[in-house]
Amino acid sequence: MSIGNGDSDGRDDLSSVYPNLAGNPLEGIEFPQEHETDCVVIGAGPNGLIAAMYLAAAGLDVVVLERRYEIGGGLATEEILFPGHYVNTHATYHYMTDYMPALGDFDLGTRGLRFHKPNIQLRGRVNGDDVLLCRSLEDSRDSMARTSIKDATTFGDMALRFRKIVDGVLGPATYLPPGAPLDLMESLDRTPVGQDMLHLSEQSAVEILEEYSLPDSVLATLLYASCQWGISPQESGMGFMVPLMVDRGLQKAFSYGGSHRLASSFARVILENGGLILDNAEVAKIEMDGSRAAGVRLADGRRIHARKAVLSSLDPQTTFLRLLPEDAGPKDLRTQAENWTWDKWSLMTVFFAVKGKPKLRNADGNLSGDAFSTVVGFEDFSDVVSFLESVEAGRIPKFAGHFTCESAFDKVLSQVAGQHSCFFQMPAPYDYPWAEQETEIIREVTDLLDSQFEGFRDSVVQAVLETPRDIERRIPCMVRGSIKHGDYNPVQMGNMRPNTDCSATRTPVEGLYVCGASTYPGGMILGGPGYIGARTVCDDIEVAFPRDYNKNIQTYMDTYFPEGLPV
Amino acid sequence: MRGEHVGTGPRNAMGVLMTAASGTVGVRSAGDGELLPKRSSYDFVIVGGGPNGLTAAAYLAKWGFSVCILEARPELGGGAENHEPSPGFSIDPHASYFYGASAPALEQLELGRYGLRASTVTNFGGCASPDGRGFFGAGNFFHEGKARDPEVLAQIMGVSLDVSKVFVEFMGALEPHMTDFFRSIYWTPPYDEKWGMTRSDLPWAQVLREALPFFDEVMLEWSLCEMMNAMGLPDPFKTGLLVGSWGNGPHPFHKGMAIPGFAVQQLMFYSNCTPVGGMHALAHAIIRCGLAHGARMYVNAPVTEVLVEDGRAVGVRVDDDSALEEKTIRANMGVILNTHVKQLPRLVSGNHLSQDFVQRVDDISLKGGSLFVANMAVSELPQYSSADREMHGADYPVGMLLHSSEDQMLDLMRDVYSFNTHPTDPDHYQLWLIVHSAHDSTRAPDGHHVITMNLQVPPPEDHRDGPDAVNKASGEIMETIYDVIRQYAPNMTRDKFVKTWVNTPQDSEFRNMAFVGGHWWGMRGSEDEWFSRKPLPELARYRTPVEGMYLCHQTSYPGGLCLLAVPYNLMHILAEDYDKIGSTTPEWWYPSKWHITDAEGGTR
Repeated sequence: MSIGNGDSDGRDDLSSVYPNLAGNPLEGIEFPQEHETDCVVIGAGPNGLIAAMYLAAAGLDVVVLERRYEIGGGLATEEILFPGHYVNTHATYHYMTDYMPALGDFDLGTRGLRFHKPNIQLRGRVNGDDVLLCRSLEDSRDSMARTSIKDATTFGDMALRFRKIVDGVLGPATYLPPGAPLDLMESLDRTPVGQDMLHLSEQSAVEILEEYSLPDSVLATLLYASCQWGISPQESGMGFMVPLMVDRGLQKAFSYGGSHRLASSFARVILENGGLILDNAEVAKIEMDGSRAAGVRLADGRRIHARKAVLSSLDPQTTFLRLLPEDAGPKDLRTQAENWTWDKWSLMTVFFAVKGKPKLRNADGNLSGDAFSTVVGFEDFSDVVSFLESVEAGRIPKFAGHFTCESAFDKVLSQVAGQHSCFFQMPAPYDYPWAEQETEIIREVTDLLDSQFEGFRDSVVQAVLETPRDIERRIPCMVRGSIKHGDYNPVQMGNMRPNTDCSATRTPVEGLYVCGASTYPGGMILGGPGYIGARTVCDDIEVAFPRDYNKNIQTYMDTYFPEGLPV
Repeated sequence: MRGEHVGTGPRNAMGVLMTAASGTVGVRSAGDGELLPKRSSYDFVIVGGGPNGLTAAAYLAKWGFSVCILEARPELGGGAENHEPSPGFSIDPHASYFYGASAPALEQLELGRYGLRASTVTNFGGCASPDGRGFFGAGNFFHEGKARDPEVLAQIMGVSLDVSKVFVEFMGALEPHMTDFFRSIYWTPPYDEKWGMTRSDLPWAQVLREALPFFDEVMLEWSLCEMMNAMGLPDPFKTGLLVGSWGNGPHPFHKGMAIPGFAVQQLMFYSNCTPVGGMHALAHAIIRCGLAHGARMYVNAPVTEVLVEDGRAVGVRVDDDSALEEKTIRANMGVILNTHVKQLPRLVSGNHLSQDFVQRVDDISLKGGSLFVANMAVSELPQYSSADREMHGADYPVGMLLHSSEDQMLDLMRDVYSFNTHPTDPDHYQLWLIVHSAHDSTRAPDGHHVITMNLQVPPPEDHRDGPDAVNKASGEIMETIYDVIRQYAPNMTRDKFVKTWVNTPQDSEFRNMAFVGGHWWGMRGSEDEWFSRKPLPELARYRTPVEGMYLCHQTSYPGGLCLLAVPYNLMHILAEDYDKIGSTTPEWWYPSKWHITDAEGGTR
């Protein structure tokens, strides 16, 4: 048959009739090449999102830019055990849910957020002994009282001491700009709790814990809990991390459906307040208007102009060396960034899909419940010290760390009937022959878990190793697998994080703010930098911050800074 | 201060310990120990958060209604998903292309504003036959106007000048009407079968009559294969087009499906883009639009039942285990099901559905859409020996059909349908490879790529060796796939495949209950399940036997492909059914040109 035999005259200008013929069928529909907003936030991790949430609620136009295909940064929940098992590839435990203003200031429950706080928070299985540390202090005491009433009393005293420091000082101070050390010392000196905090700060984790006459197994578990995220056990000047990590480590929360829900609930507030979030949108450069940061250029060439502020939640080297034009800002900003040191160790995780819930071997009576986190593989207190020091020196002396069966607390994380999602994680160096060792590592970790959990080896359906390099591949600003965007040590903390000019989120570059884990108070889903960053921007552009300080922060200010925060 | 209360001399140790430990000191966190919101009443409740449910939510929320989506899975997006199972590798477990660039929803919902962007692609496809012939550059071919030069075209397609002239003639006449052609097929609600309309009343028949001087009504009766033969198209190009249609719904040999099948091919050329970041980025844009307009969206909230009172859907019940505090969510206006039509009888209890209806739902055929999908992380791009050059970057074909010959398509069909088994002979492996990472740097780390591969296999329930036969054979199937790829691209030795993630039909069904049978576009693409009869005549206009309950899923017309068409079409019907919607047309809304209301249709 013949379809027709007309000629083709007059068809040369078809592209004007049907513009899609020109190439991009989304031409004129897709996100524009140029966009203008009040504030640009670089990075949609917890801090970027929190900052954007407050700025949007303050009535500002906000655009959040995320390099990855999903927002959340460290708040990631993914199906890496494919198919059907969801795991938190970064943060699993949320330490600061009792304090983070972002949680109380917005109605996040209606945006899908819900936390669990399991009672059995931490089980230390040290050289055959079980140490059980619970959300309810009485349960921890009961477990110790089985062998010694004195130990139970000592632990109770310690827990209360730490609680007072965290509740009175560390919790609220997380959400206020850092003061100069001298100002802070003077203020804290006003109360016994403040004095105690100052006293502890000068010590090392080992020194603080060794003061307590507690069984070695308890001290070993507490030392691991204090140092696991990157604190040198013998380094002095970081002592405040001990009350923080012990107290908060026993109040860890779990975001129902995975950590990503937390990010997702923040995002919903941003969107409902007119903010925009772009993923797959890597920022290539911060653009300047004279000496002022005036927007960003994306890797695909798109430009977002910021009328009021650019906030970076990335690490200082990315922000100041890669994104900021070389001639912007004082020279020592670059020097300081170059001198920034990354976390002293990273984390290695093996995720498992297993048949049946892992059941601890030899767990008896009231110790048999599922612990949110179980520490395995250590012999004693000094073993924890030498393990962490070896890792810091770049070695893996043995496989020891913490284990969690996430789906035991949140069944939606395993969509496969009868199967669970769990992981083993431990401090690990970045430089290591990960690729060559993969099979061996999975085998060793499986052996370790099999020695602790009945029939673990035979229950494994899938095992996936995530190395420090993988952390960096997923989130490049976690350089060398730095989960906190940079080391916790005395010269990178407080008002020196990331440096004395930028720790209060302002930078020497007008219009540019930093608000990520490398800014005071640091990482680990504290939500401090984002909150402080948004407040600072609002102050600077004279827009009312949309929420009052919560009661806890207000009390802290009234107690320690009755004359107002030092500027 | 409250902190001090703890510090100042305990009245009794136990009391203070309890106070300290139970968290009454400090600030209580939001959501801590609470169930999700108590709110339990919305104008519309949407069951399922796939592309159609999300788009319906965005439309309704933007129109000003309160909407809640309840999704059973841990995440929104349905088949429009990406995952990063290994750092840096973004895989497509399901949908891989966005064919909906002509969708009114893009403008109406301003999806670009919510982040939707397209990767630059100049070459959307290619195919290669076992005898070494290849066709490359379908994108260039149309977008650069080569399709309009018979001589160039004859060379590209490997056909005589006579044949290429016919093709040019046809495309040249249709091109100016392409948007209308697409919208007359996809973005318009089907007519009610009871109106007694004929084939030549179909919206696309109206458009074709106007566009093509040589339009013949007989074309409406053809199968796609007959149409391609009539145009004189040879392999491998012809089979590439046929499989392009088969792989997206309309079966190439089914009578009466020539135009819908042809339209799917043309969507690939004219209405296709690959969203930056993959299909999940499309879902994100829709989700963000919906949320920005106040829609509520909950995951891990499986709906167990649609509540019916006095014959009318008034809400849903969610699973007792769900995190929502209220297990009953009321719908003041309507319940919209973004679920497979076969889920409908499960969701509506009692005597609201007739036996006959339930039987006919049960009889809806799932043949021909169950895909074995493998996402393969590779260390280099396949370089096809049938190509005259090495291809990289934007020039690299996004889609590539291997074993592109009619005989092999028939062999595969016989395997899959007649014998009800997956192919075992390597010569029957007709593979559709998709490589987005060549065009979108977000999809794979430097120096690597991800190949998404589709292969037709029978639905699990139809497999003669049992529903898990394909799962059990997946290792063997993969080895054959590696071999077939190497046959066409000799550089793809086994060591170039770094990692592979397989998604069988059974996996699809398990991961997403709306993919019944692991069927990718819901149901068979044949004329008896199309337009006024999709998925059943009484469901074609999105209404269901229960008043106030609507079906908005890819099993509704026009089907899958994330075209954002079903919800657009549904809005026409809702506007008829609800005065509140029909009487308040927002300025951003425009209806289909071919829409006929019930009142109009009833008087024809």
